[in-house]
Amino acid sequence: MGIITVLWEKWVEFRRDFYKITVASMISPLMYLIIFGMGIQTTSHGEPYLHFLIPGVVSMATMTGSFSAIAQNMSVQRLYEKALDQVMVSPTPLWQFILGQIIGGSLRGMYAGGVILLMTAPIRTDLIFNGMSVLILFLNGTVFSTIALVLSFLAKSYSDAPRYTSYIIMPMSFLCNTFFSTDQMPAGFRQVISLLPLSQTCSMVRSISNGEAPGTFGFCILFLYLLVFGFLSVLFIYRKKNL
Amino acid sequence: MIELKELTKQFDDFTAVDHLSLTVETGEFFGLLGPNGAGKTTTISMMSTVLLPTSGEILVDGIKLDRKASEQKRKLSVITQEYSMRQDMNMKEVMEYQGRLYFLSRNEIRSRTEELLNFAGLWEYRNRTVRHLSGGMKRKLMICRALLIEPEILLLDEPTAGMDALSRRQMWNLLRKLNGKNMTIILTTHYMEEAQALCNRVALINRGTLQKLDTPDHLISELGAYAVDETAEDSLVSRYFHEREEAIQYLSKAGEHAALRATTLEDVFVECAGRKLV
Repeated sequence: MGIITVLWEKWVEFRRDFYKITVASMISPLMYLIIFGMGIQTTSHGEPYLHFLIPGVVSMATMTGSFSAIAQNMSVQRLYEKALDQVMVSPTPLWQFILGQIIGGSLRGMYAGGVILLMTAPIRTDLIFNGMSVLILFLNGTVFSTIALVLSFLAKSYSDAPRYTSYIIMPMSFLCNTFFSTDQMPAGFRQVISLLPLSQTCSMVRSISNGEAPGTFGFCILFLYLLVFGFLSVLFIYRKKNL
Repeated sequence: MIELKELTKQFDDFTAVDHLSLTVETGEFFGLLGPNGAGKTTTISMMSTVLLPTSGEILVDGIKLDRKASEQKRKLSVITQEYSMRQDMNMKEVMEYQGRLYFLSRNEIRSRTEELLNFAGLWEYRNRTVRHLSGGMKRKLMICRALLIEPEILLLDEPTAGMDALSRRQMWNLLRKLNGKNMTIILTTHYMEEAQALCNRVALINRGTLQKLDTPDHLISELGAYAVDETAEDSLVSRYFHEREEAIQYLSKAGEHAALRATTLEDVFVECAGRKLV
């Protein structure tokens, strides 16, 4: 029941800011696709680079969409509007509130990814996106929603949200198998990067788009992040002394 | 009934509330008074579980109140000092969100929203977003939101701050009416006349500790029901007397810049807070 309430709240927000959300989710990925995919005509592993780029950009869009939807919203609600107080004092179980935020954030990420897929649909790539891709992108969204929740509970001012984007989202966007294969990275660094959730999402979505089965290792990594950050966000909302 | 037992809240090395213990009976109108920084808002924040106590506990009808206590929280509604609302929602959405958080049915939410917004004179602005409302309208909306769920216990943190005199009187009447329906009300306020007019009992707190706890009448009679104000060049000094004759006698000896009046709760507050009117 509490989950539906949060999803309703997210829907109200989405309906009101539909154009802003849609345009914001399109701008950066569109730039990347135009500049790297179409402007700089090149190939990767013998294929047009666009074939490599699209799964990465879609994965990245679900990450940024989910993260920004939760990080900014929760930081503002907690520190500026104090609207989180309304939730804290209500009888809605707080774990349901957290779960609603995670699902709602992930759906926003899925929307951002869907917009990119729609934009690239006219380009003939023969890339495959199926139910499994959707599931992986959803899982990716839940991971970044929980990370955003934890960070917004730790934020001391609402200007911290953009900083988190610079520290976490920006480096992941460029390094995690999005624009180039991590195979070319030095050993050690490559292993570290491969343990990051976006690397695994890109890798799995790209495997499916090429007609291959995604590895189970990627799922394990994503579930591990989801469990750790999900646990932390529930712990914070129940136990943090000064929310 | 609400019981605060040895309630303590520390922020690093600053103790905002220090071993505060008191009991508020069901149906009581209770005032929590104190100067700025006394710990009133911190106490209300702990009672609404936004802050967790460093030590001590709060019991609602004998059961410990914490963030998991959904049944206890269902009885509570809070009007905070700040406008704690989604600024981008309109009035109807704010009310619906509140109703959904308290598991009210859609019909209940709809009918009570219309009733309350009409009562507060806000119905015609129902589609206006919160950020476009005046301060007074936001305050009224917060009251409507708190009453939507028909709480058993209403926590009010400076509810009339920033309200004009007429709106404040309307608010008083509403609160009296709600208290008449056996709603327990806990109020923090800077306006002593407000506490004196409304509260059955008041607690005076300073630096997080309980200084006095009694009925306003008893606190006043304890200080002395009659006050003589003496105005000097740059200060006002009040003296308090239990007997009217004593006060008149003192007045006759004092100069022409002295006046007799009834002692108020504000006098008790000022004396208790150890402050002089300058």
